[in-house]
Amino acid sequence: MSRSIKRIVIIIVGLICLTELMAQSTLITGVVTDLKNNPMPGANIYIEGTYDGASSDDDGKFSFTTTETGTHILIVDYIGFETYKKKLELTGEEVYIEPGLKESFNQLKAVNITAGAFEASETKKAVILKPLDIVTTAGALGDVSGAMQTLPGTSTVGESGRLFVRGGHSNETQTYIDGTLVHEPYTSSAPNTAVRGRFNPFMFSGTVFSTGGYSAEYGQALSSVLLLKTNGLQQEDQFDISLMTIGTGVAGTKLWKRGAVTASFDYMNLTPYMLLAPQNFDWIKHPESYNGAISLRQKTGKNGLLKTYLTYDKSIFSLNQEDPDSPTGITNIKIDNQYIYFNTSWLGELNNNWSLKTGISTTGNIDNNAFTFGDYGGKLQGVNLKIALSNHLSEKIKIRFGAEYFFKKYSERYDSEQHSIHNYQEFESNMIVGFAEADIYASNKFVTRVGGRYEYSDFLKKHNFAPRISTAYKMNNKSQVSVAYGIFFQDPANEHLIYDNKLNFERADHFILNYQVLKKDRIFRAEIYYKDYHKLVKYQLSDHLEPTGHNNSGSGYAYGLDIFWRDKKTIRNGDYWITYSYIDTKRNFRDYPWEAIPGFASKHNFSLVYKHWLHKLRSQIGLTMMYSSPRYYNDPNKEKFNSELMTPYRTINLNWSFLFRQNVIIYASVTNVPGFKQEYGYNYGSFPNSEGVYERVPVVPGANRFYFIGCFITLTRKGEANQLDKLE
Amino acid sequence: MKKVVLLLTAVSIVFTSMAGGPDFQQVMGKTLAGYADCKTIEDYHNLANKFERIANVEKDEWLPLYYHAHCYILMSFMEESDAVKKDEYLDVAETSIDKIMTMKPDESEVFALKAFMLTARLVVDPMTRGQEYSFLSGNAVGTALSLNSENPRAKYISISNEIGAAQFFGNDISRFCDQAKELLEKWDDYKPASTIHPNWGKYLVSGIVDTCN
Repeated sequence: MSRSIKRIVIIIVGLICLTELMAQSTLITGVVTDLKNNPMPGANIYIEGTYDGASSDDDGKFSFTTTETGTHILIVDYIGFETYKKKLELTGEEVYIEPGLKESFNQLKAVNITAGAFEASETKKAVILKPLDIVTTAGALGDVSGAMQTLPGTSTVGESGRLFVRGGHSNETQTYIDGTLVHEPYTSSAPNTAVRGRFNPFMFSGTVFSTGGYSAEYGQALSSVLLLKTNGLQQEDQFDISLMTIGTGVAGTKLWKRGAVTASFDYMNLTPYMLLAPQNFDWIKHPESYNGAISLRQKTGKNGLLKTYLTYDKSIFSLNQEDPDSPTGITNIKIDNQYIYFNTSWLGELNNNWSLKTGISTTGNIDNNAFTFGDYGGKLQGVNLKIALSNHLSEKIKIRFGAEYFFKKYSERYDSEQHSIHNYQEFESNMIVGFAEADIYASNKFVTRVGGRYEYSDFLKKHNFAPRISTAYKMNNKSQVSVAYGIFFQDPANEHLIYDNKLNFERADHFILNYQVLKKDRIFRAEIYYKDYHKLVKYQLSDHLEPTGHNNSGSGYAYGLDIFWRDKKTIRNGDYWITYSYIDTKRNFRDYPWEAIPGFASKHNFSLVYKHWLHKLRSQIGLTMMYSSPRYYNDPNKEKFNSELMTPYRTINLNWSFLFRQNVIIYASVTNVPGFKQEYGYNYGSFPNSEGVYERVPVVPGANRFYFIGCFITLTRKGEANQLDKLE
Repeated sequence: MKKVVLLLTAVSIVFTSMAGGPDFQQVMGKTLAGYADCKTIEDYHNLANKFERIANVEKDEWLPLYYHAHCYILMSFMEESDAVKKDEYLDVAETSIDKIMTMKPDESEVFALKAFMLTARLVVDPMTRGQEYSFLSGNAVGTALSLNSENPRAKYISISNEIGAAQFFGNDISRFCDQAKELLEKWDDYKPASTIHPNWGKYLVSGIVDTCN
């Protein structure tokens, strides 16, 4: 080796030693905590721009060395927390730090206002119910309102089938689809026969059932709103066939670029079923109905979605009912109903973080009913237009405001050749509405929603302003409290408005306190409320039983406690929820002579819903048990008004869904398995008989039990999809 | 003159090695070796943190993000009962996958990983998510295979999805068992692009083959 090369080697070795000297290392240690000094394991601590770093251990401690020198930035990252940054002088001397991390604000993970609201949605967030829970509830028989009756705050009113919420009449609950109002959401029925919701629950991917204190975006409901969100864009072409003991249906979906169309047709005829299964009613023509629907989905622009839905249905039936007012003791009733509903909505984002929601819905409902003594016809046309804008003023403040227009035209006619009566009445009403609301987050843990709603009705020539406020506070990871207060207005019912346009809005004030604990797969919820009714419509009945002298002098109250407990954990493959509602309510409205407990309220309501997945049998079995304490009915033979007790309502329903093939589901259900006697009070004659006694007939359900068997087949290209979310 | 050139070369070598710090390949290799020591969720979390640190420096490299997401998906599978946590882990994985998608829109491995993530979403709540997520995962696998029909990880996820669905519906799985056996036999024929490119999955396939037998 030449001398020069030797020299070079020496220089290199020297340089390497020098760099080693220069690259002195610094030890960095510390503890990562949150602002409350709780240790945070798994935080990522590192020097910016280098690989040097470590993760914190179970006690939040960390330690690592770096060969960097000079001024550097130390970063601490932890998901859900704001990034911590600190300038460090690296000199070789040990550095000790205690970073305290601040929780970052994330509206998606922040506290939710829970007062009054039951939400069922597919979102990843912990929700109380999933859409599938609604359709797999035994006894609900594919009826959204039927499933909601297993939630606290509702009373089961068997002779009606509608939703009665917290001492409110069923017409105090309104249904909205994709933000716009649906008139007549229930099928038409004869007196004292139960109705069903018109809309197929499989259309919806999100449901919010509010039992009070809801957003200023919704109005015209004194008690409750049911907000239904239709499904988004379908994923693949498919064809569905339903074969049921009560009818049959087909539906087809065709996709194109960023859009899809679905068309369906259903035909129901209860004749074969009702001839086989014992019935309480004397049917002349068994219920028969046709339904056709078409829906369109189209994505627009970057993230807009246009939804259109059009449905038409016609239903007819005829039966004989016992009637103390009829000389023969029997009245024949023929029901002929046609219903058309159209809804279009567009949801999308505009510039500068504005999002726009617009919608229009129109409803047409035509009843052509015939009774033994005359023909009754009712016609309703309704339009609702809505536009709502929302924006984030800042990360923590979200505002929403908008305007609405309601049009309603309602007419009734009654023709009786026998009594030479030809009555026709109608009214038309326009209403304009403005609403505004802000969600203000103080932190992830505390949110306040303040809003108000203004309505003007040209028919009543009255306006109202309804303030709403609600808050929620999260005490820890699991529990939270939420309170809500609001004033709610509603037009008097159509049957009253048709007599008088000098009426005012009816009003209810809600006060709600809610407590909720949410632990892995277990939910406990308790809510107390007080509801104050003012300006309820009252009238007297003339000698001919015509309502007269309408005024707004009625009032009432309701207070109570609602409990909900759901547990998906204790029983393997099992899932159950238990609800209990206590209510104390009285009101003086309609033709009540004084304040009384209304006939639609039962003091104690209990329900148990259980679902069990049997893996080997590829089956889900469901059980629903319900009990409602006796309701009151009025016996005109007694002096006291509304003083007689019915039998309590009891039922046990069972269902079974079986995945026969990947794309074939067989479903069976039976209601009131033990055959409990169900009787909903008595229907009394309008006038006393020759002995001065009002005669009566019992009000009973159409059948003691309802049996259902269906087979649902889905055809797709791949054959993988099924109607799993089509059980029931 | 010669000496000067040599000297300069030597000096430049020394300084280059100093300035460049540890080599990316080398660090990745060392970090990947960490998989062997991972037993608990915390272990995977710590490993994910390491990949995140590398990703923060190497802004143009997709592999650190890939493994970051991969760790979080495994964490979701390992979490026993807390469905909210499972989804939170997958949210992290999804964020990383979305980032890679903008860097490498045509990488078969990324679509395979996305399919893996979507299957993990399905597993959180099969009753409600089954239909939607089996479709989404199947779609991602399809894209992965269309970009590289030989990708053994895409094949694995496809077989594992099919078996999961068949078991759920009580159908025969022997067809998929045969596919798994074949995949296992030929696993080593597939050569990853480099030593730090995705190479996981053989163990999982042999797990399927074991349960089949």
